[in-house]
Amino acid sequence: MIDALMLVAAGSMLTGMLSGRFAPRLWLVAMLAGQGTAFAAAVSVLAGGMPWEWRSAFHVGGESLHLRLDSLSAFFLVLLCVVGGAATVYSREYWTDRAHPRSAGTGRGWWSALVASLGLVLLVCNGLHFLIAWELFTLSAYFLVTLDRPRREVRAAGWLYLAASHAAVLALFAFFTLLAARTGSWELGPMRERAELAPLFWLALFGFSLKAGVFPFHVWLPSAHASAPSHVSAMLSGVTLKIGIYGLVRFSGWLPVPVGAGWVVAVLGVVSAVLGVAFALGQHDLKRLLAYHSVENIGIILIGLGFALVAVEQGDTVWGRLAFAGGLLHVWNHGLFKALLFLGAGSVLHATGTREMSQLGGLWRTMPWTAGLFALGAAAISGLPPLNGFVSEWLVFLGLFDATVTHGPTAWAAIPAAILLGVTGALALACFVKVCGVVFLGAPRSPAASRAHESGPAMRGSMLLLAGGCVVIGLAPVIFWPALDRVLGAWRPAWGGAIPPAPLLALGCFHMALAIAAGLAAWWLWRRANRIALTRVLTWDCGYKAPTARMQYTAGSFAGIITEWFDWILRPVRHDERSVAFFPARAKWTEHTPETVLEHVVAPIGDVAMRLSTAMRRLQHGRVQAYVFYVVIGLAVLACIILTGGRP
Amino acid sequence: MNTHLNLLIGLAMGLNLIALGSSRLPSLILVVSAQGMLLGVMPLLLEHDWSWMLLAVVVATVGGKGLVIPALLRRAMRAANIERELEPLIGFVPSLLLGAGGMIAAVAFSQSLPLLPEHAGLLLVPGAMASILTGFILLIGRVKAISQVCGYLILENGIYLFGLLLIRSTPLMVEAGVLLDVTVGVFVIGIIVDRIQRAFDSLDTRKLTVLHE
Repeated sequence: MIDALMLVAAGSMLTGMLSGRFAPRLWLVAMLAGQGTAFAAAVSVLAGGMPWEWRSAFHVGGESLHLRLDSLSAFFLVLLCVVGGAATVYSREYWTDRAHPRSAGTGRGWWSALVASLGLVLLVCNGLHFLIAWELFTLSAYFLVTLDRPRREVRAAGWLYLAASHAAVLALFAFFTLLAARTGSWELGPMRERAELAPLFWLALFGFSLKAGVFPFHVWLPSAHASAPSHVSAMLSGVTLKIGIYGLVRFSGWLPVPVGAGWVVAVLGVVSAVLGVAFALGQHDLKRLLAYHSVENIGIILIGLGFALVAVEQGDTVWGRLAFAGGLLHVWNHGLFKALLFLGAGSVLHATGTREMSQLGGLWRTMPWTAGLFALGAAAISGLPPLNGFVSEWLVFLGLFDATVTHGPTAWAAIPAAILLGVTGALALACFVKVCGVVFLGAPRSPAASRAHESGPAMRGSMLLLAGGCVVIGLAPVIFWPALDRVLGAWRPAWGGAIPPAPLLALGCFHMALAIAAGLAAWWLWRRANRIALTRVLTWDCGYKAPTARMQYTAGSFAGIITEWFDWILRPVRHDERSVAFFPARAKWTEHTPETVLEHVVAPIGDVAMRLSTAMRRLQHGRVQAYVFYVVIGLAVLACIILTGGRP
Repeated sequence: MNTHLNLLIGLAMGLNLIALGSSRLPSLILVVSAQGMLLGVMPLLLEHDWSWMLLAVVVATVGGKGLVIPALLRRAMRAANIERELEPLIGFVPSLLLGAGGMIAAVAFSQSLPLLPEHAGLLLVPGAMASILTGFILLIGRVKAISQVCGYLILENGIYLFGLLLIRSTPLMVEAGVLLDVTVGVFVIGIIVDRIQRAFDSLDTRKLTVLHE
């Protein structure tokens, strides 16, 4: 049956790629059919557990195409289909032919290519084909990021994305070619007992974590996610970052892992989580802020994965299983709520034409659907019960708590990790209070914000779908445990076959009760509010007779105290123009948080490289005499090497 | 026999110095042609039983290096109507000093090489290295295209001298092949020189830098 589903999916994707440019309706149908059938196939594998395999009779690049849908691939494929499907519908209204006559058609074509190549990356079982699919998805994502090419910042972001992605591709080329050289074949599969392959994990870790946007390697992420059209941002943040995680999980499951790798992954995770949210607090651009939250959530996933690897090393199945399941479930959760938030931010951008939070405000009244769904996503990403973000973070917490009971260094590492994870959640909550307060509450700060309008049914519908996913996972986490359990079994065969942990059941009941209580309370408040005649006044009146929108907290002032704690890494650029005269004329205060790693680490290194290569260019000037001179020098050096013991 | 050969090689090395010191194109071409003729007759001294093949090669070498190539160069020089003065990048005195130093270094260096006993008494190796060095100095230190061709020829003479070491094991036909290559190369360069002259009104290779990349 899966054969047929996959065939339909492949055919639909091909139709989508070909029809995207000219036949938008056919494209929409083809894309939804393709993602729907792939979703059905993935769910049947996750539910039934029998991996699907297919090997082609023809050859691609000298190797026969080998596809394999096991539960790990299926887990990520489900996410791809849900987020991809929602964003596909969303894009029909968001990036229309009328508003973007130049780029809408090509955008649809590249979108299909992106979805298809992502699916291929998840399915292929051959190093060569993995690289081909990986490169395809990198390139199609590049063209999607730069859809709005006339704007300079979009081109700059696209260029940075392309350069960073290719650094990752380079590492992966090294990884797969070395792997193929040592095993003698491009075929991938479980080879855990070959200990000599362990050092290759470091290459994979670099390549995949660059793609996943782990903290020191995230430099490309904020600008690319902020500059891309919102449905593309949702896909990039919700799914393509997870492909990096997929690579890490896949190859830490198939290949032996070097000693200490779990610690490195866990430390990367903690650093990404805390610093990601710190950077997010310093942002004033709505989508850039969301992009930094992706860094944070990837960090949470890596904490789970890292501690699971430590558990594998020490043979502690019980808490390792919990940490891994938490990290894995967070892959789904983050994909859902981050896509929801990006689509919500897209609605705001669509309605007001700006991403600057200092220009927004008071959108709750004009865009109730967007505001409500965005707030739901914000609650989920901040890890508030009864939503899905809390479930996965709870599982990671459970794993860390259980690890503290064990003896040795793991216990000592798990305590600070748990504390920092808690800090991350608190900071994320602060950050989303800031976002929701500044963007949706208060009074509009600009004419554009006051003229905002609610988005149409396609955009609202796709956001509703994602929000529904968040609520379902939050209220009934236990029904997703079998899927997690199958993935655990695919990762480490000894880890599968566990019953749902008791705290997860308890959490589900608690969430259900909380949701019912909250619903009842809301209903009661609504009735009371209707019975008493309420008068509506300005928010945050503060006792002023005639408050203006400029008296409100800005995004910067709201987060000011917290960002000051992180001044050492954020390094904000501040311009302070205080009024000093007795009759003050004007005062001004601007604050801008740059991408510190990019500006203080990557850019100087790039400068040195450019200067060196410019100096080297001076050697090439076209004078034949000097070239002959180089030849003589080269010969002399070779002669010296040979005469002074270079001889074997 | 060895003394005669060494005398010839010594003469060739002397010609190297003259080539480095000469300030006019015609005299440089003359030096190159004299050196070519000297080298051409060397196989006669090395081989004891003269075959018709050997004679043919000797005639071809003497004719090619000593007569045909210089004639081609002179023709190119006349056809392109270039000035006869050489413009050195490395002055004549420094070139001479470099050449002399190189020659001493080559003699000293060849003492340390593990040569066959029958070659130990010969000047072939130092002569070859000195010629190669001289060729390089000319290539690096002179501006005009034709003087560079001369440097190239002297370089090739050095390689030819090395080749003579192997005259017993390598058929002379190989040498003949090398010679043919050089002739064709010089012929092509002669044509290019003519074209360059017509296109740019100069043969100064420094002006060719605009062509790079």
